[in-house]
Amino acid sequence: MSPSEDPLASHFDEVTGLLYLEGQLDDEHARAVTAHVASCASCSQLLRALQSETVWLRESLTADDEPIPARLVAAPERGTAHWGWIAAFGLCAAGLYTLWNGIVAPAIANMSQAGFSQGNVLNTLLFYGAFWKGWDEMRSLTELLALMTLGGIAIWLLRKQWRRFTPIVFVMGALACALLLPPAAAAADVERGDPNYTLPAGQEVKNDLIVAADWTRIDGDVDGDLIVFSRSLTVNGHVKGDILGFGSEVRVNGPVDGNIRLCSNAVAISSTVAKNVTVWTGALELDEKATIGGSLTMGTGGAELNGKVAGDLTAIAGSLEINGSLGHDALIRSDRLIIGPAAELRGQTKYTGRRQPEVSSGARLGSPIQFAMPRRGPDYSRFDYYLHRVFLWGASFFFGLLILLLAPGFFADTGQAAGRVGPALGFGALFLFATPIAAIIACITIVGLSVGIVGLLLWTIAIYSAQVFVGSWLGEKLLSTGVGVGAAVGRLAIGLAVIRVLTMIPFAGNLIDFVVIIWGIGALVLALHKRMRPQVPAAA
Amino acid sequence: MDRQKTTGAMNEADLAQVLSQVRAGDADAWGELYRQYAPAIFRFCRRLLPAREDAEDATTEIFMKVRQKLGTYDSSRPFTAWLYKVASNHCWDTLRRRRIRQDLETGDVDALPLEHPDPGQLERLQNEHTSKEVRTGLAKLPDRARMALVLRYYADMSYDEIADTLGVRRAFVGVLLLRARHQLRDTLSESSASLEAKSGGRRS
Repeated sequence: MSPSEDPLASHFDEVTGLLYLEGQLDDEHARAVTAHVASCASCSQLLRALQSETVWLRESLTADDEPIPARLVAAPERGTAHWGWIAAFGLCAAGLYTLWNGIVAPAIANMSQAGFSQGNVLNTLLFYGAFWKGWDEMRSLTELLALMTLGGIAIWLLRKQWRRFTPIVFVMGALACALLLPPAAAAADVERGDPNYTLPAGQEVKNDLIVAADWTRIDGDVDGDLIVFSRSLTVNGHVKGDILGFGSEVRVNGPVDGNIRLCSNAVAISSTVAKNVTVWTGALELDEKATIGGSLTMGTGGAELNGKVAGDLTAIAGSLEINGSLGHDALIRSDRLIIGPAAELRGQTKYTGRRQPEVSSGARLGSPIQFAMPRRGPDYSRFDYYLHRVFLWGASFFFGLLILLLAPGFFADTGQAAGRVGPALGFGALFLFATPIAAIIACITIVGLSVGIVGLLLWTIAIYSAQVFVGSWLGEKLLSTGVGVGAAVGRLAIGLAVIRVLTMIPFAGNLIDFVVIIWGIGALVLALHKRMRPQVPAAA
Repeated sequence: MDRQKTTGAMNEADLAQVLSQVRAGDADAWGELYRQYAPAIFRFCRRLLPAREDAEDATTEIFMKVRQKLGTYDSSRPFTAWLYKVASNHCWDTLRRRRIRQDLETGDVDALPLEHPDPGQLERLQNEHTSKEVRTGLAKLPDRARMALVLRYYADMSYDEIADTLGVRRAFVGVLLLRARHQLRDTLSESSASLEAKSGGRRS
């Protein structure tokens, strides 16, 4: 049967036959085949067989047996509805957050005042109960992230269920707006310095006041919050809301009825602050005349506390000198702690530092200072350490999930980009070091202060998300099968867990962490680059 | 080579008008375009990707890509060709990401038997197997073989387009197709042989 039993040189093989039938042979070759077929029964039989197989394949493949599934009946809307969803998601998250802050959090606060504070699991789990107040910024952030994650997942699930998009957006938007209305009722005055700004004494701003200027001086009163981006800020007037400031030098001499939140090179406070003070600064000076009604939370190079703090003190400092009074507990991590003769520490003081605290004989202490030398490296024998690692894994997993669900295409791009190890590491290193430098330059030129701060913020987010991209890539290397969201989530979980375990290795762990950050940032940059460059025509 | 067989009929003038409306952001035109081509693309994905769920996801993703990339479509070329190119790139990427491709990127022809196939056996295969069975057999083929057959015999793609999608030399496409046909023949023969063995076993 087989032509190979009669191997004529002019017989052609099956590939040639197929190419001939499909019109892929050049003219000369095709003519030779045509001529041969005319005289060769075996080869013409081959052609007929192949041809009928082609027809059969074509018919089998195009046979229309399966209707399009119901979920595919409507055209996908995400191309244009994308921003709608983001807006809905944002509004929903904001609405939930407002709901939390307006109803749930006060209820919890009431409960804890009534003696139910042990029931607050989040509080007990994540923070020291005694330092609760000082950490409320942090708590809000954690809650916000958690709510945003939940909101994102809920919306994603709903999207699968309800194909009708617009009504949901409107309902959610309206709901969120309704929830947001009361806090948004107060308007704000926005002032731009030329280049400096002064609110003269005797004048009163009835709203919130937002100032961006080179030098800012507030001698008058502000009824709402004072938000300032300025190289130098001096407040002599009365601020009835909070002070939020970014600048190189901040001096508060006037009374503040709300909180003070500052990020500044140097801060001096010499007045009464009714609520809490949170500062991130190179140097902090709390004058003898200063009184803080709430807690004081700070990260600082050096601080001198000569005034009165009614609440808790939480401090991470290069050196800390206390010569005033602390009404409550103190948690201090510092290289050096000096307790002066006029100091009065009523609560418990926990101090972690390289050196013993220097306590003057005149100082009055409510209880002895609990001193601990900082541990070098993690304590592998403690269960807490592993629990903390699991929490960290959970946080990064949720964050990754958020990116995966909100921007699946981009997520896949970063995974692919992470596969290009060399360029990813190169770009990652460049951006890891160049971004903060650029941001700081932007901050110095006062016009770019907000740009610089936003840049730094994005950079921090990029550093955090680095592990997600590398984790996903690693997961793909480890678990090779599966497409779709489920598999991607699995890969992400495993990849992140592996990274988490690797970074627990003594010494090498830090290096691995560093490499992961550079690698992930590089993948992010490459993926962004891919998104931004003009699209290459798909039909080449 | 009639692509309209799989994609439904929309004449060129209508299509051009719908495309320009879609480009201008007309949601109805987009719906029209989708209705016209989604079933074909869904079946295309259904033949390439192992799970129905995957095919559904891929169809949605492909159309989102199409909407994004429509600006890059050169209207002097057939729309279906472009559409299938986008779809096949997407499916191939998806399959590649699964990394379960058994076949290698080499151009070896060793796997092909030198003898001509037995026409009688080919005819028997064609008579014995329904199109559904062919598609079941197709699902058992290595990814690249399956891709090659579907791109050629379902989507009517040219050898150049197939070579470009699968990242192989154009000269290798014929070999790829023929090898895929052989693999399909073998798969179908095996399935009918095992069926016969089973029914034979029951009878005895």
